[in-house]
Amino acid sequence: MSLADLAHPRYDYSYGFLDEHARRELRRRILKAIAIPGYQVPYASRELPIARGWGTGGLQATLSVAGPHDTIKVIDQGADDSVNAANLRRFIARMTGVATTTDTTLATIIQSRHRVPEERLRERQLLVLQVPDPEPLRHVQPDSSKAREMHAEADYAQMWLSLYEQLVRFGRFVQGASYPVVVHGRYLMSPSPIPRWDTPTLHQAAHLTILAAGREKRLYAVPPYTEVRPIEFDDVFFQVERMAGRVCAVSGARHKFMDELPVAGGGSLFRISDTGYLEKLVRAARGEPVTIGPTYYDAVGRFYQPGVLHEPDAVPPEGGTGHD
Amino acid sequence: MTDQPPAARPLDPPRLVTGGPLLRASGLRKCYGSIVAVAAVDLEIYPGETVGIVGESGSGKSTVLRLLNLEEPADAGDYRLAVPEGAGGNLFTLDRYHRRMLRVQRIGIVYQQPHLGLRMNATSGGNVAERLIMAGERRFAALRAAARGSLAVSEFPAERVDDPPAQLSGGMQQRVQLAKAIALRPALLLLDEPTTGLDVSIQALVLDTLLRLRREQPIATLIVSHDLGVIRTLADRVLVMRAGRVVEHGLTDQVLEDPQHPYTQQLVHARL
Amino acid sequence: MAYVAARGGEAAIQYAEQLHQALNGPLTAERVQLIAQLLPYLVDRVMGEGSLYAPELAALALAQTGGDLYEAVLLLRAYRSTQPRLAYAEPVAQDQIYTVRRISAAFKAIPGGQILGPTLDYSHRLLRLDLLDGAGAAGRVQPVTGSDQRVADTEHAAAADPAQATALDPSLPAVADWQRAMGLLEPLPDTPPPDPATLPDLTREPLSFPAPRAHRLQSLARADTGGTLALGYASMRGYGLVHPTVNELRLGYADVVLRHPITGASFSAGRVRVSQCEVVDTQVSSLRLGYTATLGWNEVKVIAGAMLDLEMDAPTPHPAHREEFVLYHTEAVEASGFCIHYKLPHYVTFQSGLDALRGVRDQGGEVPGDR
Repeated sequence: MSLADLAHPRYDYSYGFLDEHARRELRRRILKAIAIPGYQVPYASRELPIARGWGTGGLQATLSVAGPHDTIKVIDQGADDSVNAANLRRFIARMTGVATTTDTTLATIIQSRHRVPEERLRERQLLVLQVPDPEPLRHVQPDSSKAREMHAEADYAQMWLSLYEQLVRFGRFVQGASYPVVVHGRYLMSPSPIPRWDTPTLHQAAHLTILAAGREKRLYAVPPYTEVRPIEFDDVFFQVERMAGRVCAVSGARHKFMDELPVAGGGSLFRISDTGYLEKLVRAARGEPVTIGPTYYDAVGRFYQPGVLHEPDAVPPEGGTGHD
Repeated sequence: MTDQPPAARPLDPPRLVTGGPLLRASGLRKCYGSIVAVAAVDLEIYPGETVGIVGESGSGKSTVLRLLNLEEPADAGDYRLAVPEGAGGNLFTLDRYHRRMLRVQRIGIVYQQPHLGLRMNATSGGNVAERLIMAGERRFAALRAAARGSLAVSEFPAERVDDPPAQLSGGMQQRVQLAKAIALRPALLLLDEPTTGLDVSIQALVLDTLLRLRREQPIATLIVSHDLGVIRTLADRVLVMRAGRVVEHGLTDQVLEDPQHPYTQQLVHARL
Repeated sequence: MAYVAARGGEAAIQYAEQLHQALNGPLTAERVQLIAQLLPYLVDRVMGEGSLYAPELAALALAQTGGDLYEAVLLLRAYRSTQPRLAYAEPVAQDQIYTVRRISAAFKAIPGGQILGPTLDYSHRLLRLDLLDGAGAAGRVQPVTGSDQRVADTEHAAAADPAQATALDPSLPAVADWQRAMGLLEPLPDTPPPDPATLPDLTREPLSFPAPRAHRLQSLARADTGGTLALGYASMRGYGLVHPTVNELRLGYADVVLRHPITGASFSAGRVRVSQCEVVDTQVSSLRLGYTATLGWNEVKVIAGAMLDLEMDAPTPHPAHREEFVLYHTEAVEASGFCIHYKLPHYVTFQSGLDALRGVRDQGGEVPGDR
């Protein structure tokens, strides 16, 4: 008998790719992250067979929690069929044997880069968001040790200062995606580069969200039914992207997050960014039987939870609070 | 969160000193390696009073100021401020969080070098507003109004409120620092060589502003300067420091007109 | 519709992979072996940055990626993630290394002697164009003759084959030991070396700052050679505070010594190529050392790394003097991965930014409440 007879064949991989110790550690870190909403938990991010910065954090989170009975949906920019999403999906399926779907309502785990699906997630669904940079303080404090101290002391004044500066210089908030939020009234958190359209979906959500950065080795979570508030002033409010007036060229739908497609010669077409949802709209229009879940924004653009979003262009009354 | 933004509070009328001191520090000591910067300094400041510290560079006067601003830990000493956040205890024992909150709410400082006290690339108004943000103000209109109000008190031109300090002259930068320092009506104002390095004519203007502020908003103030003219103009009482110790103290007029300690005599005569 | 092809994602991936393979030629076991034989320094670099000593796997990684270094390192690291840690090797003392090359710039001669070993340092960098014309081995370096013949032969044999390395003296004293004995360096702590199993392990726990010494050295050991050189060179060229001297540079073989889990007996599980460099700074009252070691022979990296180690805590704002900056930005897999991630679609974030920009234009820059 030789050593080679005793060992596994070299091309064998553990279930979920990572070795058992790594999986166990990840699950512990995820539990810690859920226990301290919005707090960035450091973890020993392992190298995976896809490049760093391509969703290795989200992938590790998914691989460490997925089991054979799960059904997974993977999207990139809202699309199930982009090469990157397809690549991650086939890797997860290959390493865990999970079923795959493009239908948000059927998935138990949704791993996403830069989008939250339009259909509302339910209890017992898990949203895994890939995070390139977990540190919302990065642009005011590039030194991560100092940023950690600022989190420890909830020293976030500079974030509101940057809002103040944006209003003074540009007349409105100019942050695009990755709009910072405060979780459970305590930790400032980057929601990953989701558009502002998706930011309110994390607030008092029925589902669990895990956000994981592979390259930066931090993961954090928003447990179900947790306060998630974008940073804003009491009199100048956070605004989502304006989708009013945009009509999906494929489905005719309105008030969903649209991809803008430039048209030769000028002008743009619009198409719903959530391809799984769009596909169901198209099939329903053809008369096929499909189940479309309730969406975060209704047909006239109202968010499903009242009082979370403010009407656009709400400007403080003339003269402010009257002490100049 | 403050119920009423500071700029809206009525000005306090001048008062006679009836209570105890606002600031009481004793046995302050600070060493850097083998160098004793501050050996044993005792200091009291009463509400509304301005106290000066004079001395050459290296005498330890700026170190005393940094200790009182809780910027660095003292090696020994007791430091109390009669404010609610002080809780009657030695402020050197506060943890980081409470130290920071106390500094935000109760202590204002103007540094000789503006970049120590300002974000040079944020707007001047934003620099002042940050103080209020730290204290919990979240209304944009209120921040804007308070920043304008505080800058007006430090006689900063209204049309430059949205210019960053990096684009301002040295005198203007000091006015932004002053506006930031007084934005929350602090109990204690610390001035570290506030006019040093400015042109003489600008110095006079900044001194005028400080004098007017002293008249209109009597904040307990400690001013550190090597310039006896500045001390004479602003301070009620003066401490003379040399090699980390106070060698003489008393009313400003008395000390500067009739110095007793040979070192003070030397300082005063060098000026004449 | 570019690369978000409807339903085409998985097929596109397969075609792209096939095209890549077609351009790079067939992947065979023979070609992998050739790479291992012909390109040992390249294999060393991949093993060092991949932090896995496995020449065969490193050669396979190079073959699979067509020689794309960053991809090869990633392959090795990803494979490493799947492997459990079975045991911890015993520490290797300097005088236990089978040294094939060892030089000190600090002294003309050192106890044990300077050993030039295998190097091209003093060769003329001339392309051997005659080889292309079929000159064969005719232009080889002239064999050394005379009384040095025997020494040279053993050295050559040993350097070329680790199994022969016993022919070398494994007990060349470290230059730093002499300096310690002379009181020029702080003496080593009088405690036994720590149990390797208790050392902080960068591959099992995240880096945080200030980093434990073990993390810093592990991070430098697997740092990107190019990145280490760039930052190290910035420090050497003029942003550094000191002009250090190479105290000792060593290339050699080290035994991976394990303890038998039952009998407790030590045994060698194999022999690996290692390099290490120690630089010394004389500008203070006692000498200060900077150090880097790595798997494989990679002189540029260990010299640059040792320079960075020496000055990584210097009180200056220069990036090369800040531990966080150096260690984060010389991480080969993370840096290259993030760089190529810009190829991924970003149209949702771009759209979000575009919305903010259009909003600013519509607003006309008027500050809320300022009317």
